[in-house]
Amino acid sequence: MAKDPLADAGLHFDELNKLRVLDPDVSQKTTELKEECKDFVDKIGQFQKIVGGLIEMVDELAKEAEKEKMKAIGARNLLKSVAKQREAQQQQLQALIAEKRMQLERYRIEYEALSKVEAEQNEFIDQFMLQK
Amino acid sequence: MVATSCAHKELVSCVGWITADEVYSCSEDHQILKWNLLTNETSVVVKLQEDIYPIDLHWFPKTVAGKKQALAEIFALTSTDGKFHLLSKTGRIEKSVEAHRGAVLASRWNYDGTALITAGEDGQIKIWSKSGMLRSTLAQQGSPVYSVAWGPDSDRILYTFGRQLVIKPLQPSSKSLQWKAHDGIILKVDWNSVNDLILSGGEDCKYKVWDSYGRPLYSSSPHDYPITSVAWAPDGEVFAMGSFNTLRLCDKTGWSYALEKPNTGSVFSLAWSADGTQLAGACGNGQVIFAHIVEQRWEWKNFEITLTKRRTMQVRNVLNDAVDTLEFRDRVIKASLSHGHLVVATALQCLVYSTKNWNTPLIFDLKEGTVSLILQAERHFLLVDGGGIYVYSYEGRLVSAPKFPGMRTDILNAQTVSLSNDTIAVRDKTDEKVVYLFDAQTGKPIGDGKPLTHKMEVMEIALDQCGASKDRKIALIDKNNDLYLTSVRRLGREQSMHKIGSMVHTMAWNDSANILCGIQDNQFTVWYYPSAVFVDKDLLPNTLFTKDASEFSSAPHILNYTGTQVTVRRADGSLVYSGVPPYPTMLHEYTGSARWEEALHLCRFAKDQALWACLAGMAMANRELNTAETAYAAIREVDKVQYIKFIKDLPSKESSLAHILLFSGQVQEAEATLLQAGLIYQAIQIHIDLFNWDRALELAVKHKTHVDTVLAHRQKFLQDFGKEETNKRFLQYSEGVEVDWEKIQSKIEMELAKERERAANSSVRSSVASHR
Repeated sequence: MAKDPLADAGLHFDELNKLRVLDPDVSQKTTELKEECKDFVDKIGQFQKIVGGLIEMVDELAKEAEKEKMKAIGARNLLKSVAKQREAQQQQLQALIAEKRMQLERYRIEYEALSKVEAEQNEFIDQFMLQK
Repeated sequence: MVATSCAHKELVSCVGWITADEVYSCSEDHQILKWNLLTNETSVVVKLQEDIYPIDLHWFPKTVAGKKQALAEIFALTSTDGKFHLLSKTGRIEKSVEAHRGAVLASRWNYDGTALITAGEDGQIKIWSKSGMLRSTLAQQGSPVYSVAWGPDSDRILYTFGRQLVIKPLQPSSKSLQWKAHDGIILKVDWNSVNDLILSGGEDCKYKVWDSYGRPLYSSSPHDYPITSVAWAPDGEVFAMGSFNTLRLCDKTGWSYALEKPNTGSVFSLAWSADGTQLAGACGNGQVIFAHIVEQRWEWKNFEITLTKRRTMQVRNVLNDAVDTLEFRDRVIKASLSHGHLVVATALQCLVYSTKNWNTPLIFDLKEGTVSLILQAERHFLLVDGGGIYVYSYEGRLVSAPKFPGMRTDILNAQTVSLSNDTIAVRDKTDEKVVYLFDAQTGKPIGDGKPLTHKMEVMEIALDQCGASKDRKIALIDKNNDLYLTSVRRLGREQSMHKIGSMVHTMAWNDSANILCGIQDNQFTVWYYPSAVFVDKDLLPNTLFTKDASEFSSAPHILNYTGTQVTVRRADGSLVYSGVPPYPTMLHEYTGSARWEEALHLCRFAKDQALWACLAGMAMANRELNTAETAYAAIREVDKVQYIKFIKDLPSKESSLAHILLFSGQVQEAEATLLQAGLIYQAIQIHIDLFNWDRALELAVKHKTHVDTVLAHRQKFLQDFGKEETNKRFLQYSEGVEVDWEKIQSKIEMELAKERERAANSSVRSSVASHR
């Protein structure tokens, strides 16, 4: 095939017989490349987004883990102190019981005194009836 | 019952009441808050400068010497930077004074508001004038003074010195009193003006009660944490004590009424409201705790009343289990149940209920809010508030308002005031030997207006409740614990105080008869007829009823003596009852209405020597010779029976009266009676019989008769005892007078005949009661 003089001059015709400076093949390949590049960029972007989300999520998880860890430590400490608290509570209750016990003792003495008075009065009544 | 509220961000260091329902509190967050308990509102009064850390607060006293001031508007606030500040009610700092090096730990106004005392970390105690000028440095020591309190008369102060307590009089010359009080550093002290008792709490976790001589009265068992605050209620009946998560209410004898365990941290400061019903505490966790007293109980006969809430009382009739509920508009401050009436003083009103009808009380308004004492008698009752003493009838009418110079009503208590149907007795505070007596109807002093003065300080007084007003007697216990009895209305005669008991710590009159009971040393004693001392002193020991008092343990206090039952409060707070035989009450009733036959009958029935002795005394007091003779015979007092027989045989009314007086040892009165009747010989003879020679001679010489009789008897007396005449007057008169026994005998016969004749004449005109 004879060399196309136009091609040498760097001019080409496309299918629609329009004059072009670039070889239609090249042009087509370029366009393809462009498309592919665009695709690639898109994909990379998407990837980045996904990775970002992942990192965030991992971070959150880390935070959560940290929190739980603290919670666990707190709970452990609290558990340790419960014994102490119990002791204090027991002490308080013990004091209240002692108080009530004292009150009970007072009531017991009062009751005894009243019983004695009752007995005395009964005795008096009996005596009185006997003498009458 | 306790309610807490939280408002401060930091530890609250001090609280103080301004009115009955408003409290100021200061905290280390530099704020002063005002709490209104009626509306439950809290407002910030002021925010202090950042460098002021308050420690102690004390309001200027409201009442000064019985007069009400234009409300106390300032308070003293001490701080850690060594200053004290005088602040107005609005929180404006009126004055700041550089007082101590290091923190000022305590400040207190005295009772009349003329002086402020401050105590600092530098161990100094300083007195300041009302305006904040330094008067003097009272004491200086090597360790911080944590707390300070004024004595009841503002003439002494009490302060802490490490583990010791010191009472220092303000007069520089007088000696101070110092004693070791606790095993740890003492953190708080308080001194009550009404009962003169001292309260201390320290790091040895104990609180103790002392009298003003430093003698220990009570020591608590150790607590778990140091006692950080103590405070007397104004009336001195109870006190509050604060510690870590602990608030306790105790009786003045130390035993505890109630314990609360609020979650507040340490209670650093406690303050009672002026009416003594509410308590505020400053807590370590920024809370201010408010407490008020409930579950107070009154008992009388078959009624039992409980204060269930601040404004609600529950009345229970034990006989039929009927329950009534009484609701009040305001807080109940004081109440008293006795003699068939319940008297309740609330913040604004006084309500009088009859035990027969709980639905319709009688209501009247009170002049001044805070009633500090209610006493009841059968016909009326007595109210004491900051302004005076008032007697009201149960119909709500103001009967009288007695007054005396220098009266301070804020320090009166049931031991120093006594009320009966016709008389009021009040012990003076400035001179404790003096007892003022007033007529309850008029409020005027009795008799010549001179108060009753005893030779010792009087600790407790009590008027008897029954009988006629002319026979009113007052029993008093003095500082030596001797019990005395004297008559209230003494008709110009010199007062005669009769000692009827010793080592008596507590006493009470019966409500329905004039019977006195008391605890004498370790014996429970009942004086069936205390007035026997006025008739026949020897009779008194026979009229006693004693019982072993070991069941009352140590230091008991008699609460009341109603009917035949005595109620005693033991030192540990338990109530103990003890019965007294019912006969003496009946005997009092019979003799009171002159039913002598029945009285004799009762004595014969009861077969009790003490009862016979009582009857003897009562009969003699009423000049009922026949009964007296029988009674004296029953207790085997032969000499007295003889004498009564002799009196009965006397010819005239006057001489028998004189001999009855003589029987009771009232020689002067007997002589006066005879002289008034013109029976001069009889008067002389009395003195001769008593070997009262000088007076006999004096009378004989004065009336120019029977000088020889006196001389003759004197000679005979001297001869019998083999003595020489040494009396100059007798020597002088015996020179000129011849002693002729026959002449004397005939003269005596003549006198007696004359008297018989006169009596015969008069008995025709009026039948004489004593000659039945």
